[in-house]
Amino acid sequence: MENAVGPVLRMCDEVEFIIRAIEDDNPDGVVEVVDRGAYVRVQMPGFMRLTQVSLERHLGSTFKLYQLEGMMASFAGRITTSSDQIVWKLNATGKTG
Amino acid sequence: MTRMQREEWQDIVRDVDWAFAYADDEAVFPEWQSGTGSVPREAWKDWEEGYKITYPEYVAVQREKETSVFAVKAALQRSKVFDDLDEGWKSTAKAHFGATSLIEYIGMIGELRMARFGLNGGWRNMAVMGALDEIRHAQISLAFAHEFVPKDPQYDWALKAYQTNNWAIIAARRLLDGITCDANVVDVAIQLPLIFETGFTNLQFVGMAADALASGDINFANMISSIQTDEARHAQQGGPTIEILMKHDPARAQWVADKMFWLTGRVFAILTGPAMDYYTPLAHRKQSYKEFMEEWIITQYMRTLNDYGLKKPWYWDQFLENLETTHHALHLGVWFTRPTVWWKPQAGVSRAERAWLNQKYPHWEELYGEYWDVITHNINRGEMASTLPETLPWICNTCQLPICTHTSSPDGKWRVRNFAHTHDGRQHHFCSDVCRTIWQEDHDTLHMKTMVERLLAGDVQPPDIPGLLGYMGITPDVAGDDAYGYKWAAEYLPGKAAE
Repeated sequence: MENAVGPVLRMCDEVEFIIRAIEDDNPDGVVEVVDRGAYVRVQMPGFMRLTQVSLERHLGSTFKLYQLEGMMASFAGRITTSSDQIVWKLNATGKTG
Repeated sequence: MTRMQREEWQDIVRDVDWAFAYADDEAVFPEWQSGTGSVPREAWKDWEEGYKITYPEYVAVQREKETSVFAVKAALQRSKVFDDLDEGWKSTAKAHFGATSLIEYIGMIGELRMARFGLNGGWRNMAVMGALDEIRHAQISLAFAHEFVPKDPQYDWALKAYQTNNWAIIAARRLLDGITCDANVVDVAIQLPLIFETGFTNLQFVGMAADALASGDINFANMISSIQTDEARHAQQGGPTIEILMKHDPARAQWVADKMFWLTGRVFAILTGPAMDYYTPLAHRKQSYKEFMEEWIITQYMRTLNDYGLKKPWYWDQFLENLETTHHALHLGVWFTRPTVWWKPQAGVSRAERAWLNQKYPHWEELYGEYWDVITHNINRGEMASTLPETLPWICNTCQLPICTHTSSPDGKWRVRNFAHTHDGRQHHFCSDVCRTIWQEDHDTLHMKTMVERLLAGDVQPPDIPGLLGYMGITPDVAGDDAYGYKWAAEYLPGKAAE
């Protein structure tokens, strides 16, 4: 995938739920999943977001966005975190969601 | 009670710069430590990390990580998983523990230097958490390796390796000292978080986890990928630093990035390359080293560097070409000098493995096949002395690794070339023109005596292989040998060829 951005998730029970949350948050793009066993790449071209609201919907109201760190072994692109959402993007693509 | 959003208060605790009334800025942030160079001091006010986390969040997440990793460890402690692991794979883990456990400690020094001398309060705060991360990595690596010491003394090198002058450790120590200790902290932020951690540790700690899990080493896969979750965060100190440097001094940014990308790539070629292409059992290899490099470095990482405005390094074509050769040559050297390492190198050249190597690397047979043929022949004739070293290989004055870089020649044969340079009447030797250029530019800060120079200076006594092993801290109980006890060579005995 050209200009892929997004998290690389380590093996954990929550992977499928996080992918669903990402799909909910990025309805206009195709989310590609590359599974290498011990890690799973979740990627889109140029821009991806993940919100607290979607994570809560799939992982329960006690799950906080910052807890994603424990599952994210790496990521592609540049990251910006806030209380409400995490964004991965490449500035060169000019995409802002 | 509704809590305030982090964004409403975090700057109060992260942006802690103030104007000094009783000391000069230069006294607090001396140039030799802080290294602003030609970047105006005020420019660092714009330094802002994209990956924000508060200290309470940090503590909560780190607690979850530790609980999770040690729960798996406790569960597997009562199993026979370790006993069933392939001996070749175990060598991947042993090489990793020895080479990286206390690198984490050196990484902590770099983080602490940024926590003190970083030119923005947000940067310094982030580096404090980075230092705590690195302490965790050193401790967790030592704890995991320690469990296996009663079963195999080679695991003891997780703690011992960096207390020795083993040749592989000299190379690794020279790289990490150059990254974290020799440079000012602006350069450290490029070298450590941006180059070493954003780029190459992904290969060793996430890419390798795929091979580890496939090989059945759940514990190791879980530990290394957990470590990398910390790195993914604190490595983000590199981004805002390179952005400011690119704005005010792009030539410096490019040079520091290029230099450390090459040097880091050299060390990972010897650490990760053989592990992925030779030590990991054939059936469990998820990808070749070159394919992992293409995924993590050439695609993911270079795209990020490009996004910051950095160009490809001046030696880019050479770097790509070396992905076909360098780690194969280094593996050949490590296997040949196996008594000098604290693991058991898996030769990885059975017929099936050679077929795999030739599929992944079309020139493998042409470049390396005949050398392994000679070694195999000698093993099968019982001439083991011919498969062992009588002295040292020439060592590169910059990367401290054996000079074995493939250079093409008109007849298509592999030629090992020495790239020499005379300085102050003394000749130095390099594995490549890139290492020579780096030494010419930076020899005051990077120079360290090679193992060959130590031998010639009389540091090693007696000046022979037993003396060298003693100098390197290798004892008979840990000296490396072939992982499979040479059983793989039997299929090449006369009469077996047709099978």
